[in-house]
Amino acid sequence: MTIFGKLMWFFKEHKKLYILGLSFLFFTEVSQMVSPALIGHFTDVIVSRQMTMNQLFFYAGSILFFAILMYIFRYMWITHIFQGSALLEKTLRQKLFDHYLKMDTTFYQRKRTGDLMAHATNDLSAVQRVASGGVLMLVDSVVIIIFTVISMIIVVDWRLTLIGVLPLPLLAGGVWYLSPKMRRAFTASQEAFSRLSNKSQESIAGIKAIKTLGQENLDVDAFNTEVQKTIQINKKVAFIDSLFGPMATVVMTISYVVMITYGGSLVLSDTISIGQLVSFSTYLGLLVWPMFGLGQLFNVLERGNASYMRVQEILSEKSAIIEDEKGYEIVTHGDIEINIDQFEYPDDAANVLNDVSLKISAGDTLGIVGRVGSGKTTLVKLLLRQFDDYSGKITFANKDIKAYKLSAYRKAIGYVAQENFLFSTTVRDNIRFADVNKTQAEVEEAAKMAALHEDIFNFPEGYDTQVGEHGVSLSGGQKQRLAIARALIINPEILILDDALSAVDARTEKQILRTLKETRQEKTTIIVAHRISSVISANEIVVFDKGRIVERGQHDELVAQQGWYAHMYEQQQVAITFEENLSGKGDGDVGTE
Amino acid sequence: MSEQNKSVWSKSIPVKEQIHVIWTLIKMAKPFRSMFVWALAIGAVFALLQAAAPRVISYYMSNYLHQTSNVPFKIMISFAILVAVIRILQAITDALNAYYFTVAGEYALEDMRIRVFKKLHTLGMKFFDEMPAGSLVTRVNNDTASLTDFWRFFMQLTFAAMSMIGAYIGMWTINMRATLLMMIVVPFIITSIMVYQRFSSRLFRHMRERLSALNAKIAESVTGIDVIQEFYQEERFKKEFSKINGEYFNARFKMIKADALLLEPMIDMLLGGATVLVLWYFGELSIQTIVSAGTIYAFTTYLNNIFSPLESIMNLFSPFQEGLVSGYRVLGILNNDAYAPKQSLNAAGDIINGKIEFKHVNFSYDGTHPILKDLTFTANPGDTVALVGHTGSGKSSTINTLMRFYDFQSGEILIDGQDIRDISMNNLRKKMGLVLQDPFMFYGDIAFNIRMYNKQITDDQIKSAAAFVGADKFIEKLDDGYHAKVQEGGSSFSAGEKQLVSFARTIVADPKILILDEATANIDTETEAKIQHSLLKMRQNRTTIAIAHRLSTIKDANLILVLDEGEVVERGTHDELLAMHGRYYDLYRLQGVQNEAAV
Repeated sequence: MTIFGKLMWFFKEHKKLYILGLSFLFFTEVSQMVSPALIGHFTDVIVSRQMTMNQLFFYAGSILFFAILMYIFRYMWITHIFQGSALLEKTLRQKLFDHYLKMDTTFYQRKRTGDLMAHATNDLSAVQRVASGGVLMLVDSVVIIIFTVISMIIVVDWRLTLIGVLPLPLLAGGVWYLSPKMRRAFTASQEAFSRLSNKSQESIAGIKAIKTLGQENLDVDAFNTEVQKTIQINKKVAFIDSLFGPMATVVMTISYVVMITYGGSLVLSDTISIGQLVSFSTYLGLLVWPMFGLGQLFNVLERGNASYMRVQEILSEKSAIIEDEKGYEIVTHGDIEINIDQFEYPDDAANVLNDVSLKISAGDTLGIVGRVGSGKTTLVKLLLRQFDDYSGKITFANKDIKAYKLSAYRKAIGYVAQENFLFSTTVRDNIRFADVNKTQAEVEEAAKMAALHEDIFNFPEGYDTQVGEHGVSLSGGQKQRLAIARALIINPEILILDDALSAVDARTEKQILRTLKETRQEKTTIIVAHRISSVISANEIVVFDKGRIVERGQHDELVAQQGWYAHMYEQQQVAITFEENLSGKGDGDVGTE
Repeated sequence: MSEQNKSVWSKSIPVKEQIHVIWTLIKMAKPFRSMFVWALAIGAVFALLQAAAPRVISYYMSNYLHQTSNVPFKIMISFAILVAVIRILQAITDALNAYYFTVAGEYALEDMRIRVFKKLHTLGMKFFDEMPAGSLVTRVNNDTASLTDFWRFFMQLTFAAMSMIGAYIGMWTINMRATLLMMIVVPFIITSIMVYQRFSSRLFRHMRERLSALNAKIAESVTGIDVIQEFYQEERFKKEFSKINGEYFNARFKMIKADALLLEPMIDMLLGGATVLVLWYFGELSIQTIVSAGTIYAFTTYLNNIFSPLESIMNLFSPFQEGLVSGYRVLGILNNDAYAPKQSLNAAGDIINGKIEFKHVNFSYDGTHPILKDLTFTANPGDTVALVGHTGSGKSSTINTLMRFYDFQSGEILIDGQDIRDISMNNLRKKMGLVLQDPFMFYGDIAFNIRMYNKQITDDQIKSAAAFVGADKFIEKLDDGYHAKVQEGGSSFSAGEKQLVSFARTIVADPKILILDEATANIDTETEAKIQHSLLKMRQNRTTIAIAHRLSTIKDANLILVLDEGEVVERGTHDELLAMHGRYYDLYRLQGVQNEAAV
């Protein structure tokens, strides 16, 4: 019941909608009481053979009138109350979505995409059901029960009503008892479904491995086993589900027995008329749905409440990145100075960065190399202000990067990762993602700089080709180059390529790096790479190991040091020259065959 | 492509196609016919019982409940017991009917699910290369699940029809003329159903389409959150989402209005109209002759029985359409004929020595663009043949034809002198081990990932295979060793570790022929060295076909093929190729001066 209290803000906000809706619901129920009484009277008139045409017109006319009236009332309450619940869902969904957009990296590391989706879909529908079904079950059931019982007492007989209605709470109790069982069975069924989904997902993704081992039939057997389990679980759902209707029939049977025996003797003793007995049976029929409603009410409210709490919990989470409203607006041109004493991830106590100090003069290129997990990407994350909680200081143009307005600061940075998410839209809109007002010429220029223009030319619909999940599949290198174009189009003050050339072949890499050098003489570029060739011409190259800078200098200096860098360079050079020479033609990407 | 891009909700299927789908689905449920028939038979009994109770009460009212009559208590009780028995039987048959029908539907849909899954395994790599994995998973699971609604609709339909027939039979036994008069309601019922169906299916489709757009937007925004935040596009996304959210609300509100206009309120009004009709008939009749209370009672109750199942039928219309669309797509898979390449009918050959010969092999993926041109080479037992060339030169395609993932168009591939098509698929798979570029890990444990489904492989064999490829050290360090859990896709393991496990998987089967598609993934140098060492061991005493990216691994190959656009441009051993002073020579020379070659 508390869930209604929690949703009060919404009901208040849409007071008019709910007052109207509930009023019409009320009118519907009042009108519903009329026709059973009329039918009863009518029966008496027929049986006593006193029917006249006038009376016929009166009864038929009244019943018809109320049927039409109820049609209007019903239409009105349904459109109001269900509109309200849809509105609630819409409002909450927008809130949740806005909130998702605000949240920081830590939040997204903790939450799984599937869960975030479930909050926005399943949870919101459960809350929505409180505002539609829940309201209805509560108000409608209670009001109908009260009205019907009163009508039965007035129109028929209080003793018969009392005894006849007595068994009905059993039905509400039965529904109340079965509903959670049904819910559990249903949850089990959904779990079985996800197991099947996962199983087939895996089989399809691993089809080559299965084919290679010639284990197709065995895989089908494994799937079949899972299906047989699912059938057993779904049988249980079917079993419980098939009990609800029959339960009503059985409980109502007691009322019918009362009607036949006690009702019959009341008719015979002339306490009530036969018409009243007919009315009685019709009223009984009206009580079935409210008993179902009451039985399910608590279930709906409980689920709605749990879902609402989950949604609220998400909404109450604060993003660690706080926008400094008074922060600097415009990011000027300037040097970057990094002085980090120590940093560790919020949910992982191991230090990932220690004593990192770097200076990148405006217009310079910094190269960062090092083995997997050495802290290269972590440094980039701090620069991107995905984490603000470190001891030390990063300044840009002599101002702490935390002192800038987030919006202004982020606009100054163009970031490209190794794996880049592309949106389900055209190539053009993906390139001009950061600014939808860029012209075709500007888009093409960015694409040319990223050595992607010619590839796009060969796409089925050029710049209008759809990419992303449902679009054409791009090679790894094409994806990376598209992401580079996406970053270059805003001509960022700082460009960060985080292993963003890993799938691009050596020749194209060289071409892109050359273009960057030419066009970004005034702007700062940071290149994180596994391949030494990506950083070879940087003004400074640093080698990370276990969160520290272990080697630094220009390429030649580092080679001369004969350390990790020199060793890596030697190893890679063999493979790279080889590949490069073989792929004489140019635009091939590595590792996509 | 753009066709797939659209949601299924944006288009409807032509009626003729719909009927075909319905008919096919019903035909495919044949193995479960007896269950469906039982459910229907029980349903028929239920309908008769449902009609019997009001008939008995009506009889009781008409014949005993006169003011004048004096009814013995025994009769009253007998009627009460009779009605109670009928209603309890009614409850039992109701439950059985619903249960059997649902379970039969469940069997039918799971059967369909297995058929689709089985069918997928008969299709060739071409099919999988072209279809996005996500949509295949949807076909196997979600689409077959929607068939529940297909069967539930039939259940409700037969249920309603039988209730209606039962009610008319009951009426008929009381008053034939009034029953005939009541037939008038049938066209009204059918009309209202049809009107609703016309209206709702379009609105429903629109609503579902908006809903999937909405969900897609949320999913995309959550997955791409980094990019959105990095480029500061939050406001734009908020606005875009707000628009879709609003559109969905509008679509939904339209659906709510249509339901309010045509569903429950309409059915109730029609019931009211039918009641008026009955009352009018009997009212008028009562002026001339006696009409009993029981008759009025029975007719009003029967009208209720006729009208009350209608709502659930109408509610199921849209899901039924959904089921049809799903059925249509599922049948699309079942009718797909992109089968995996077949072996000859009596293929029984085996691989003993592992000699591989390609003779003038031509191959093309689409039949027009040749990928392999006149490819000819021989790998003698125990030899290593290395394929060298840039992306698209035909290295992977050579492997695809050798593994029988794709059929080649002309020429011959011989293994131990026999046509590859004459070797049984079973032997082919057993004796040829492919090590994939991107090793796939299955959900389960490490041991399962090495053994896979082959139960004949013992734990000891698994351990020695792991030791052979050098995977034992990292496995033994895991908490549960060989029984350490492997999550979906093996996400908790590094690329190198996955690679080693996949080596063990290949080695445990002890293949005669080894096919290596060398990884280019980012593997750190130390692991890379381990992998190279394992590969060297694995190649001993096995014929090996290797796609190589690193020169060091192919130097000792018995034959090196330099491929370009599907053709062999140079061939020979390392030394021979050097002596040719061709492309390979250039490469080698480049390597020699690598340090100066730094750009």
